[in-house]
Amino acid sequence: MSLRVDVDANDLLRPRDRRRRRRKPGAIAFDVLVLVVGLLMAAPLAWLFAASATEPGEAFTLPPKWLPTPFSTENYSRVLELMPFGRMALNSVIVAVISVSGSLLVAVLAAYAFSRLSFTGRNQILVVMLSALMVPAQLTIIPVFVLMRNLNLVDTLTSLWLPALINVFAIFFLRQYFNSIPRELDEAARIDGAGHLWILFRMLVPLSGPALSALAILGFQASWNNYFGPLIFISSPEKMTLPLGLVTLQSGQGGAPAAVVFAAIAMVVAPVLVLFLAFQRNFVASVATAGLRG
Amino acid sequence: MTAGLAPPVLVDAGAPPRRRARRRQTLAGLAFLSPALVLFLVFIAGPFAFAIFLSVHSWDLLTPREYVGLENFRRLFSDPLLPKAMLNTFLFALASVVTHVFGALLLALAVNRPMNRFVSYFTRSAVFFPYLLSWAAVALLWKYVLDPTFGLVAYYLDKIGIDAPNWFVDPSWSLPAIIGIDFWYTIGFTFVIMLAGLQTVPSELVEAARTDGANRRQVFFHVTIPMMSPVLFFAVIITFIGAFQIFDPIQIITKGGPDDATMTIVMYLYQTGFQAFQIGYASAIAILVFIVIMAVTGLQFLLARKWVYER
Repeated sequence: MSLRVDVDANDLLRPRDRRRRRRKPGAIAFDVLVLVVGLLMAAPLAWLFAASATEPGEAFTLPPKWLPTPFSTENYSRVLELMPFGRMALNSVIVAVISVSGSLLVAVLAAYAFSRLSFTGRNQILVVMLSALMVPAQLTIIPVFVLMRNLNLVDTLTSLWLPALINVFAIFFLRQYFNSIPRELDEAARIDGAGHLWILFRMLVPLSGPALSALAILGFQASWNNYFGPLIFISSPEKMTLPLGLVTLQSGQGGAPAAVVFAAIAMVVAPVLVLFLAFQRNFVASVATAGLRG
Repeated sequence: MTAGLAPPVLVDAGAPPRRRARRRQTLAGLAFLSPALVLFLVFIAGPFAFAIFLSVHSWDLLTPREYVGLENFRRLFSDPLLPKAMLNTFLFALASVVTHVFGALLLALAVNRPMNRFVSYFTRSAVFFPYLLSWAAVALLWKYVLDPTFGLVAYYLDKIGIDAPNWFVDPSWSLPAIIGIDFWYTIGFTFVIMLAGLQTVPSELVEAARTDGANRRQVFFHVTIPMMSPVLFFAVIITFIGAFQIFDPIQIITKGGPDDATMTIVMYLYQTGFQAFQIGYASAIAILVFIVIMAVTGLQFLLARKWVYER
């Protein structure tokens, strides 16, 4: 899909109009309606945080808790007793960091070849790779599972990040980005004696900051939230990443009490919320640009 | 950092300079491409071919594979559960596309106008944020939100005099519940795409239409919508492809039940392949998923010629 739209994605979450002026009652009523939509969207998360920080016996009494009273951190400490939360969080971080940095390195090298080097079969290889974007993950997962089994990699973190190193979308996205950087810059650098690696890593990569950070955010998010992969490859708790760990906590032997599961969900959601509030623009911009340019 | 400056390969010394340069570019190209190429062959192209190979075999991962020809594909047509799973998947995908595209467009229009800054900011953030979470967290959270005894929805529906159904026990309410949860989770993506799309509508065009006496509605239907049609088309395609592969919330909440009411095609594929270990038949189902996605996407591209405006 080659949709070319130029978007000022930095400001998609910021209101546009700064002027103050008198407004009609109808417009104010409409604002209230929009606010209600926002409150409805936020309600499940507000309830999550309030109930999870309430005393276990009181967490789910009716009417629903919107404030944690009586306040207690007991649900949170039970989470740490019932699941290896720290280990799982570390696994999630390891898998995400290796997947993202590895796939970006592979993609940057390939994008350079597709954008700056001319060789026989270049366009044919690109077309074949792009057609793979149409192949759903479910089609390749069974053979990849068989492959991992033969390599003795089932139930290891490697089985989670190794297949993630190839990201065809990132290759194409970066190739498009490199194509938009003037080739005259390469020529100038080459006359000064620069080689391919210098041109790529000292010139093109630093010039591709927005594209790389958008891909990194999306890649991190995909890896961090991946449930299908761990479900198929991982069985021992100390190898699990957080999403599978959460579900296992809830459905595993007997299943933890709802209030404890709530605390565990909150522990997974809270860091994302903090990151979102801190880097909101980057999140939204990466979704909008990568989404539309994709 | 001087790979490109490596001396010309010796065997090349006699060749004309042009061809020598060309050969060096080819070598460099293959070198830069090789990590991606190897990974592509091992994790995408190879598995793709192997999936086709597996689909004409019968295999349980343990005993030796047995060639069965087109038996697995014949079974697709006689499997009583498959039409049900297909229907559920199409229903889900259709509902998902319609609710996401219209919902996101309405939301984007609602906040894309002069309004209270706090309200605008809060609602935009609240709509977008869930998209950053994982299905695991979202599905578990909503399992409790929809709980018939202590859940939020049952309590407040009861307050306004509506008797909430027991969502995941009543077969007629399970799929709608999943559709609703999916809307809450992924509407943020479509919303941002629509907001960005609204920004692509040239304001000169809107002003010109207003000057020519068009009212708001006419501007919307004759300027905004046509100018946004590529973005709308993109949203339809992306939402459909994602929705057709819906799996995570179903595996986490209902496992396809009650009474197969939420059995979707990928859920069925998972149960066949990774629980019943019918690897050959599961591969045939996967190929069916691939073909259906290709066919529907192709059809949408054909239809797009009628309604998508290309600049």
